[in-house]
Amino acid sequence: MSAQSSDGADPDLTPILDMVFQLITFFMLVINFKGASLDQSLQLPVLGSARPLEWKGDYEPLMLNVDNEGRVKVFGVVVLAEKFIADQAADLKKELRAAGDSAPKELPVPVVLRVDKGTRFHLVNHIIKLCQENGYVQFSLSAMTGKDEGGR
Amino acid sequence: MSRRRHRRKNKNGVKLNVTAMLDMAFQLLAFFILTFRAAPIEGHLSLNMPPPIPQTNVESAQTVGTEGNSTPNLHALHLFVTATEAGDVAQVRLESNVIAAGRLTPTTVAGIGRRIAPLFASGNVLYDRVQIEVDRNLRYEELLKLVDVCAQQKLPDGKPLGKVSFVEMQR
Repeated sequence: MSAQSSDGADPDLTPILDMVFQLITFFMLVINFKGASLDQSLQLPVLGSARPLEWKGDYEPLMLNVDNEGRVKVFGVVVLAEKFIADQAADLKKELRAAGDSAPKELPVPVVLRVDKGTRFHLVNHIIKLCQENGYVQFSLSAMTGKDEGGR
Repeated sequence: MSRRRHRRKNKNGVKLNVTAMLDMAFQLLAFFILTFRAAPIEGHLSLNMPPPIPQTNVESAQTVGTEGNSTPNLHALHLFVTATEAGDVAQVRLESNVIAAGRLTPTTVAGIGRRIAPLFASGNVLYDRVQIEVDRNLRYEELLKLVDVCAQQKLPDGKPLGKVSFVEMQR
């Protein structure tokens, strides 16, 4: 038994280890957990002047996907907009109070609105009004930048 | 001496089972290939969208300040947008003047920009926001073109106009 193992081939594992570590590194770099919150089925409007969102606040923006029937989707699940937005705002106010800030009238966090380009105004306005009623005034309207026209 | 030791070490070295490691590498590769999706090139139009000012008297009561936290003597510029049944723009009015009619094209959008730009550059009348009264049927895509042209306007102090409000047009 011991003679067998001493006579066995001794493969050079370095290239395989290199490959494994390169794969793991690559995977760690490109993985995007936030991507799961984007509803890829939405057809966003195209806007040449749209810029990447530069948000460096302490709190995560509120991401809302609105389809062309006015339904709000969060992580692929249709939610009741009224309840979801109110709950998110209440949680944020609680966090702000816990951090020592007196709960401001206007919440210091933007709402990222990803709305399908075919959605009618009254449906979008309903969502905007819900956000405003709960203290959100900063909005970030998502659009394709033109290079990837029409979405997917 | 050291050579002898080295040789002996090689001969008696531990034999690793490479199969498990290869399995893992291929599993990682398969996972990566199956789940990889290129991130879309997505941009954002950042705006401050406070609740609209009640339009009880558009001509005389445009002063921003009904919310109690705005500077007086700043006004809201009113745009009115009607839409066709298909959701395209039918007409864009600036107060009572028609400034665009028909579906929005890059040319008409640029025209709207040219019409409203002097109003923001003027030192006499200060607008700090645009309030757009929109037909409920208008498609979001068309609305965003108008919002974009408004957001691109510069205030007299050089800062970009960041305040836009929406009101649903009463039929």
